[in-house]
Amino acid sequence: MTVTFPQKGLPWLLLLPQLLVTAIFFLWPAEQALEQAFYQEDAFGLSREFVGFENFIELFTDPLYYQSMLTTLFFSFSVAILGMSVALLLAVMADRVIRGKLAYQTLLIWPYAVAPALAGVLWWILFDPSMGPIALWLESAGVDWNHYLNGNQAMILVVIASTWKQISYNFLFFLAGLQAVPRSLIEAASIDGASPFKRFWTIVFPLLSPTTFFLLVVNLVYAFFETFGVIDATTKGGPGQSTNTLVYKVFEDGFVGLDLGGSAAQSVVLMGIVGLMTVIQFRFIERKVQYS
Amino acid sequence: MTDVILEKIGKTYPNGYHAIPSVDLSIEEGEFIVLVGPSGCGKSTLLRMVAGLESISEGELRIRGERMNEKEPAERDIAMVFQNYALYPHMTVYNNMAYGLKNRKVSKNVIEQKVTDVAEMLGLTDLLQRKPGQLSGGQRQRVAMGRAMVRDPKVFLFDEPLSNLDAKLRVQMRVEIRQLQRKLGTTTLYVTHDQVEAMTLADRLVVLNKGKAEQIGTPMDLYNKPATPFVASFIGSPSMNLLPANLVEQGVQISSSLTLPLSHNYRGCVVWGIRPEHLEITDEQNADFALRIQAVESLGAETLIHGVLEEESKKGIPMVVRLSGPHLPELNSLMWLTAPVKHWHLFDEITQQRL
Repeated sequence: MTVTFPQKGLPWLLLLPQLLVTAIFFLWPAEQALEQAFYQEDAFGLSREFVGFENFIELFTDPLYYQSMLTTLFFSFSVAILGMSVALLLAVMADRVIRGKLAYQTLLIWPYAVAPALAGVLWWILFDPSMGPIALWLESAGVDWNHYLNGNQAMILVVIASTWKQISYNFLFFLAGLQAVPRSLIEAASIDGASPFKRFWTIVFPLLSPTTFFLLVVNLVYAFFETFGVIDATTKGGPGQSTNTLVYKVFEDGFVGLDLGGSAAQSVVLMGIVGLMTVIQFRFIERKVQYS
Repeated sequence: MTDVILEKIGKTYPNGYHAIPSVDLSIEEGEFIVLVGPSGCGKSTLLRMVAGLESISEGELRIRGERMNEKEPAERDIAMVFQNYALYPHMTVYNNMAYGLKNRKVSKNVIEQKVTDVAEMLGLTDLLQRKPGQLSGGQRQRVAMGRAMVRDPKVFLFDEPLSNLDAKLRVQMRVEIRQLQRKLGTTTLYVTHDQVEAMTLADRLVVLNKGKAEQIGTPMDLYNKPATPFVASFIGSPSMNLLPANLVEQGVQISSSLTLPLSHNYRGCVVWGIRPEHLEITDEQNADFALRIQAVESLGAETLIHGVLEEESKKGIPMVVRLSGPHLPELNSLMWLTAPVKHWHLFDEITQQRL
């Protein structure tokens, strides 16, 4: 349906609030970051000089940056795969529950309402080496847990904390996807002699593939860009560089290390990655397989 | 040889709803049995119990002498065609048909042989590499049947397979299903709510009403000798004219002024019925009663005349007359009719049984 306005002014007026928000909170900072990336600024923000691509050259010759990239990739895929597997398992089980279905589903959705930083603090307390219940339990089980010293353990902690929050979201989508699979298909497959396990992998899982792909992209984007709070509340990127993801590094280099130019250059790189992921998302999701 | 036996089969849902009290049915090998009834009569439930998709609460189901109650659907050696076809949307036609054989660990060569044979029989050879989404309704229907046929099961189960097709295709597929079943000689249980489909397909019909088998018999048995008023009204289109009446010494008393002569031992309240096609036009002297014409449906080969009985106390009782060939009587005029005794159906009003 197309609505035509009699005069040209009104549509712009109606769009104005959204355009203002976009301009002030998105376009302007983006432009600032882009500009900043080509300057070298002193720690107090009093003076700056134009340095061209120097910030970028420095960035791409820094082995720490590549390490951070690898860390981010490992972290993101771990979060996405772990989060989706657990959510799918929970969704399959919740789909089978007959009594108290709503209670299960509501409880499983709740964690999504918890703010990322709070989720981080929660897990930080649970895993605290000196007083956290999980850490103490691990210790009694013979695992020497200290994520302040052990980089791998720190990584495990941030992956768990970030995943936990995302499971609810994935669960919702998987559950909806499972409920959209016609019952008669499952029945036909059971008459066709497929075991429950085989039915799941040959019928249900392929039919969930649009949901799975959508969630993969959403989860990767989440792990890439929205886990700052979790990391800041638990490990602050450490120990060493072991949980220093690209987004956390922007903050750390910019506001802790006060290298505003280098941090801006990293932001520009991240912008590029966001753009790329958006393109991928639209390319594939818009063309996702249509099941009749 | 008796192939499938349903012995006092009943279904009670966990919430206490008694969907099917008790059904007895024994099916001969190669027989085509149609379960027919209005929606909610339990026909699909009964079929799903035979398939193993619903548990059997009471009674016993035997296929070739073997108790099936506790067996999984896959172990019953049945194949089912669903109303919405239930084709696997992400698999090609070939894989849809091969799926059941693959699960049963049949060797690749045998699968290919069987699928190609069945595809040829059903005219699906050119469509084997397509996906269900690229097929028309009739083609999907065929694939669903092909999927059932490749496994060469002991029993075919059909759950309203034609209800998603348009009228013309439905007639065509009906004929095809009948021919295929004759050719394969596979015992078949077919569920439908369409009495025309039921009459044309069945060797024997089971008319279900509220979970009870009202009558089991050949289509002509049911047409000529319906056991209950329900069967009488359900089988035949347009349905039988049924009037409440009283059986007295002089005959069937339909109203204070109209009694149709009959000698019968029974006395009491009855339901009197005659099929629209058995009413005959006559003149005023020989007429049993008069009909005030209200509507005329001309179908070319036949004419259906809807009217009400022109009787003092029974004004307004509707009746349908079916005449062959074209007729164009005037609306609101009177039509004189006679109802030959040999075509009457009498049912006890209380027990609902045929007299």
